Amino acid sequence: QTLFVGEAGPNRGARADALQWFADTATEMADGLTLDIQWGGALFKAGAALNGIADGVADMGTIIAVYFPQEMVAYGIADLPLQNPDAWVGMKATDALMRSSEAIQQNLASMNLVYLGTFTTSAVHIGCKGTAIRTVEDIEGLKVRGVGAYGDTFRDFGANMVSMSIYDAYQGLDTGLLDCSQGYSYATAALKQQEVIDSYTLLNWGQVGALGVFANKQSFDALDPATQEALMTAGEGMADELGRLITADNERAVETMREAGVEIIELPEDERMKLVEKGAGYIDEWTERAASAGLDGEALLEEYRALIEKYTAERDEQGYPWERG
Amino acid sequence: MLRRIEMLLLDLAVFAVAALGLLITASVVLRVTVNSGVPDTIVMVRELMVAAIVLPLAVTTAQRAHIVVEFLSNRLPRRGQEALIVFGSVFGLLALAPLIWAGWREATHALTSGGFFFGDLQLPKWPGRILFLLGISMCWLRLLVMVVTDLRDLRAGRPLAETAYLRGEG
Amino acid sequence: MDGTLIGLVAFAAVIGLLAIRVPIAFALAGVATVGTFVIFAFRTGVFMPDRAIRPTSSLVFSNSFDLIHSYDLSMIPLFVALGHIAYRAEITTKIYHAARVWLAHVPGGVAMASVVGCGGFSAITGSSIACASTMGRICSPEMLRMGYDKRLATASVAAGGTLGSLIPPSVLFIIYGIFTETSISKLFLAGILPGLLSLAGFLLVIWFWVWRDPAAAPKYAETITFGDKWRAGLAAWPAAALFVIIVGGIYGGFFTATEAAAICVSAAVLIGFAQRKLSFRDIVEALRETCIQTTSIFLIAAGAKIFVAFIALTGVAPSIVQVVTDAQLSVVLLMLAIAAIYLLLGMFLDPIGIMVLTLPLMVPLVEGYGLDLIWFGVVVIKLLEIGLITPPVGLNVFVIAGVVGKDVPIDRIFSGILRFLTVDVLVLILIMAFPILSLLIPGSM
Ligand code: NA
Ligand code: NA
Repeated sequence: QTLFVGEAGPNRGARADALQWFADTATEMADGLTLDIQWGGALFKAGAALNGIADGVADMGTIIAVYFPQEMVAYGIADLPLQNPDAWVGMKATDALMRSSEAIQQNLASMNLVYLGTFTTSAVHIGCKGTAIRTVEDIEGLKVRGVGAYGDTFRDFGANMVSMSIYDAYQGLDTGLLDCSQGYSYATAALKQQEVIDSYTLLNWGQVGALGVFANKQSFDALDPATQEALMTAGEGMADELGRLITADNERAVETMREAGVEIIELPEDERMKLVEKGAGYIDEWTERAASAGLDGEALLEEYRALIEKYTAERDEQGYPWERG
Repeated sequence: MLRRIEMLLLDLAVFAVAALGLLITASVVLRVTVNSGVPDTIVMVRELMVAAIVLPLAVTTAQRAHIVVEFLSNRLPRRGQEALIVFGSVFGLLALAPLIWAGWREATHALTSGGFFFGDLQLPKWPGRILFLLGISMCWLRLLVMVVTDLRDLRAGRPLAETAYLRGEG
Repeated sequence: MDGTLIGLVAFAAVIGLLAIRVPIAFALAGVATVGTFVIFAFRTGVFMPDRAIRPTSSLVFSNSFDLIHSYDLSMIPLFVALGHIAYRAEITTKIYHAARVWLAHVPGGVAMASVVGCGGFSAITGSSIACASTMGRICSPEMLRMGYDKRLATASVAAGGTLGSLIPPSVLFIIYGIFTETSISKLFLAGILPGLLSLAGFLLVIWFWVWRDPAAAPKYAETITFGDKWRAGLAAWPAAALFVIIVGGIYGGFFTATEAAAICVSAAVLIGFAQRKLSFRDIVEALRETCIQTTSIFLIAAGAKIFVAFIALTGVAPSIVQVVTDAQLSVVLLMLAIAAIYLLLGMFLDPIGIMVLTLPLMVPLVEGYGLDLIWFGVVVIKLLEIGLITPPVGLNVFVIAGVVGKDVPIDRIFSGILRFLTVDVLVLILIMAFPILSLLIPGSM
């Protein structure tokens, strides 16, 4: 049968390719299954995705946790400014946590949702015009467009946060309304920000990873076990597929910036630790919110950190899956 | 009574437009002068937008200010035109009813789930949804009153009132 | 039940309801709700209405609520308020007096100035609706007061408003750029010449209109001295100041286009207070009119948004694109077919909705033919702009209708629009036939 998939983003870019891969893989594995992806928020915008899927407007679709800090608090762990900069490691850890935790499954079920698979926007870095961030002291007084808790932490270092979408950042940087804009390498290059920035500081700090595909529980439960299995397997495979795509895109993007004359700066390790320390306050805040939703935030964090370590080790020992013979 | 409430809602909308304008102005001025800002401006502006757009719906309805295409109906005799006006209102009652029910579901859900917007102030999601429900419901109520009055006028052969406020009632 | 069939029935139902004077917002929302319900009820192949209630309710709520619950669209009530406040502070009257005095020897000069003003304003707002909302409130009533033909006074501004998305910056180009992964800055540059060409076309329409029918734009009767011009020009300083604040503020990096709307309203209020032309009462009255005017436009836009989501469920758009793909047309026929599709959808749907529904399918098709995506973007935006002024659902026309109220019925505005549409089609053919018009500027940068 045909199932509707709601996606707020366009049908271009790494995330779209990964979602398409998910659909292709699932329909290949399950007989008679068709997935009709509605791109660009044709059915519902990102801010309505949770209710849209839970109510069955689409049978499944992408939920971005930042729009639902209350309902998606558990998933929000993947957005925290932990030491979690690798796209593939982050996705594998998040996916494993979402799949294994009984508490999270029940929490989702109570909202009529089933977790299928995760995406990531990859590591948060920052591009600047007319200035460069080499130490955390450089942040003070800059006008910055921020991303979630990463932006909040910059505010704590004295940045003045300016609210605008990543698509307006080009003009903002160009006119001087912004000094710096946080973002992801592939997006920075895709939006041609290399034309307006002078420096790009690799923060190697963390990522926004709490976005992924969820299904309406009723729709999912009504499927035969083979189809359910196909969706689950395809969902799990997304981490490898998107990891491959986004890692390549990001490397290419940094190269594009370098060629455009942008200075690429690696934030020194001790400076990065200052960011991580300051960001810890937002982790505590998350733990409290998790507690109010009846989840043991400390335990989840511990489990999540262990998973990050596990997959980091796997990457270091065997390389990324797409690099293995 | 209904009219007084509707005028109050309109003035609340006026207040909302003024407030969101001032809020944005303040955040720009603070940024340009002292390199600072108002937290969660975007969320607050969004919530105020709901008040600004939805609360005046009842007054707009009462003034028969909904936009219509008239060039075919204008060729009908007066009675025929008036019958179509009433039909349009009845259709509006039917079209808005699902929206009210949906708004009720969303408002109660937002109230009980404790959902809030990501941001410094963690502003709750319910106020905008309650305002939406209120605005659409008042519009529906006004439409209903107008359908009843218009039908009465139609039966009695009187011309329809140009706006609902020209009658003493309501 | 076949989704495409439901979709086509729905389009017919909307036309039927509009023809019998059902308010546009109710017609769109009502048909879309029923259609959505039917689709969800037949999901399993058997009619199960109880399973359709929840998704239908969720879809109608989220699509209408999210449209209104928008930071970017706050620009619209604010720019409408700017129009009302500037009017009460006599800022608009003075700039119109200046235009009239300076352009007294140009037939239809004030209408031309309005369209040029739209062009200038579109370089600021990025949105056609915002452009028409503001300029409509400022221009149409003034032209009506000067005795201009009602069709000319309204249609010129409705058409001029469509420059908003072609002349950069432009929200539609940003969305197109996201969907095609083309450079947004190149798209902006590509829109400049076609935008100016459209502007020139509109001026030509006004010139021709007034040449054929001089009564459409009454001449300024009094003799004008150089002193008159000087004084009229000077008295128009508040409007010039507002323009400098907007342009300087956006391009000087002080605020965004959305923020510009709020800053301008604040500045207009301050100017009005300083000149003692504005009282607190005036502001409240201006904002009341603003609210009533914007609410009816947003209600239609919300209905249109629900309709788009419903059309997404029907699969009408992919079916149409599939037909075109299967036909394996020549490039010329393909472009004509695409133009026909966008004009057809543009009769009913809003530009963003059409892009979301069609681009995921249309762009691979166009790429397969090896066509330039930047150029194609300009073609698509021009087509979408035309859709804003075509009946039965022409959002720009409704915006103007909301401004002028019962003085000018919608069909009068549409009948005036026809003349502008003729030139729009010519401009469209030029843009399609000569890609260099779009690609010259981005290519030389
Ligand atoms: Na523009
Ligand atoms: Na149209």
